[in-house]
Amino acid sequence: MYVALHNLLHDRLRFALNVLGVALAVMLVLFLLGLEQGLRLQVTAYLRQAPGSIAVTQAGVDSFGGGSSLLPPGLEEDLRQVPGVAKVVPVLTQTAIFDLHDKKIFAFLIGYDPALGGGPWRIGEGREPRERGEVVFDRVLARLHGVRVGDTVEVQGQKFPVVGLSEGTASWMTALVFVRKADLESYLLTPGLSSLALVTPAPGVAPEALRARLKGLPGVEVWLKSELIESDLRLYQAFFKPVRLMSLIAFLVGTLVVGLVIYSATVERQREYGVLKALGARNARLYGLVLAQALAVAALGSLSGILLGFAAARLVLALRPQILVALEPGVVGLTLLTGLFMALLAAWLPARLVAGLAPAEVFRR
Amino acid sequence: MRTERAATLRVQNLSKRYGSGETAVQAVKGVSLEVSPGEIVLIMGPSGSGKTTLLSMLGALLRPTEGRIELDGLVLSELSEGRLPDIRLRHFGFVFQDFNLLSALSALDNVAIVAELAGLGRKAARARARALLEELGLGARLHFLPEQLSGGEKQRVAIARALVNEPALLLADEPTANLDSHHGHETMRLLRRIAKEQGKSVLIVSHDARIQDIADRVLWLEDGEFKEMRSLATDPVCGMTVEREKAVSAQWEGKSYYFCCRGCREEFLAGPQRFGKATARERE
Repeated sequence: MYVALHNLLHDRLRFALNVLGVALAVMLVLFLLGLEQGLRLQVTAYLRQAPGSIAVTQAGVDSFGGGSSLLPPGLEEDLRQVPGVAKVVPVLTQTAIFDLHDKKIFAFLIGYDPALGGGPWRIGEGREPRERGEVVFDRVLARLHGVRVGDTVEVQGQKFPVVGLSEGTASWMTALVFVRKADLESYLLTPGLSSLALVTPAPGVAPEALRARLKGLPGVEVWLKSELIESDLRLYQAFFKPVRLMSLIAFLVGTLVVGLVIYSATVERQREYGVLKALGARNARLYGLVLAQALAVAALGSLSGILLGFAAARLVLALRPQILVALEPGVVGLTLLTGLFMALLAAWLPARLVAGLAPAEVFRR
Repeated sequence: MRTERAATLRVQNLSKRYGSGETAVQAVKGVSLEVSPGEIVLIMGPSGSGKTTLLSMLGALLRPTEGRIELDGLVLSELSEGRLPDIRLRHFGFVFQDFNLLSALSALDNVAIVAELAGLGRKAARARARALLEELGLGARLHFLPEQLSGGEKQRVAIARALVNEPALLLADEPTANLDSHHGHETMRLLRRIAKEQGKSVLIVSHDARIQDIADRVLWLEDGEFKEMRSLATDPVCGMTVEREKAVSAQWEGKSYYFCCRGCREEFLAGPQRFGKATARERE
């Protein structure tokens, strides 16, 4: 290993530039993976936090955020009658356009009954809506548009006083805004109707078993909540694909950088590898040397890239708080594995070069 | 210096052919040779005579097409490819014209790494390397990079590296070619000391006639074969070594002169006094 390090550190400036190249590529990989994870978390935030383990939608509707669902009237009562049902939480949803300081802002309205649940899971400031027309606004959306608790926001001429600011409800597409279900029914002219029913099984009743019992209800689709989340994610695949493609490009660029670094370092020292081979070093030893150099560049580059990735995520959070770059341990681990894979891939070609060296060449001038 | 180790290199009917069919080139033809412990053998010859090919085969770097190489009773030419690195590591010490030191490593590490390759721990390898370098007068240069050393110092580091695993045989390829006269003599004296004090066999391939002074035996390789030194002469016009039997000759002032071609002979005869100093010195 010390030979590998000496080789790398012989030209420190070049080594630093090489590490920087890898770091930038790794930062990009980490950032993009974090961005994709952030998108996933944002689009599934409500369902993950909502009560119950079963979700009931209108028949033919296979997503929470992407489809328009209206359940048959009286369904909640029917659901409550089914043995094994402990709790039913109906919610009504609708995309709305807010007029905020002469700007049209899309938001996803969720009408819920504060007594039953299904509303904001974390309120950073203020309280839940109690009175007619009160709303809880997403805190990031509020910050971006200068909305404070006590202000009034307007949707199609109707005014809604803001009584609370929720956290964890921001989105790069449409943030969540919570309102009492009765008020949303009145606003949408859909009295007594719901878009979604969230069902909690009684203790001891398996969600799968309860879903099987509920499947017979007419005009509805019954989902395990986790399945509806997966279905929602499939709907947003179109958004994830470009991000994934960019991640792949960043990975390839990173691999190319490490590869070029190690290849040029190997070619430069080709004669020295030949000398070692002539003196009696086995190929395995020389592979180890090449791999150690690749690993050293990749490890240092990856660690620096991860630090840069966290810095970039913080910067994005400060500049565009509605965009979540979720650098969770899994994402960081995946990035480190990516760095390791880069090193292995990058070491392959130089290792072949070393393997092909004829020791007798050492006498050629 | 350290323990003596007796060894004899025996080479029988060694040949090397590159390529096949009409394009085949016979680089070495049926060479036989024996080197005793403590003996210094110098192989000379013109460029392209097969010296490097022969040296590569003797050092287990290149497989012969035919023939047998035996060192310490071990028949190298019959060993599998997988065993050769170990043989090179433990039985041979290589000294190169260009020194071939690893540029990123200090003098100490350049020597120690070869001991480490042979299985010595890092600490022990460095201790052994340090002792050798100090013995060769490089105690003050242990941590210098090759680029910070003079040619003579680099060659001494290379010789220390060649000795670190206590090999039976040193193979030196043009060891004085890149050195000035002083350092060239110094290297020659060092190689002689190693041979005579440690009983190591030293086989040198070189164009440098000065090495004849330290060699116990000088062999002339030409066209892949050893030639009798007695039958060789130097063309006084172009300086080429020629075989007397095959060469064009001329007489002047009662002496015989040998030439590589008629052109050289005619040039000589047109004004022999111009080449008066460079008489056709016989290689005896």
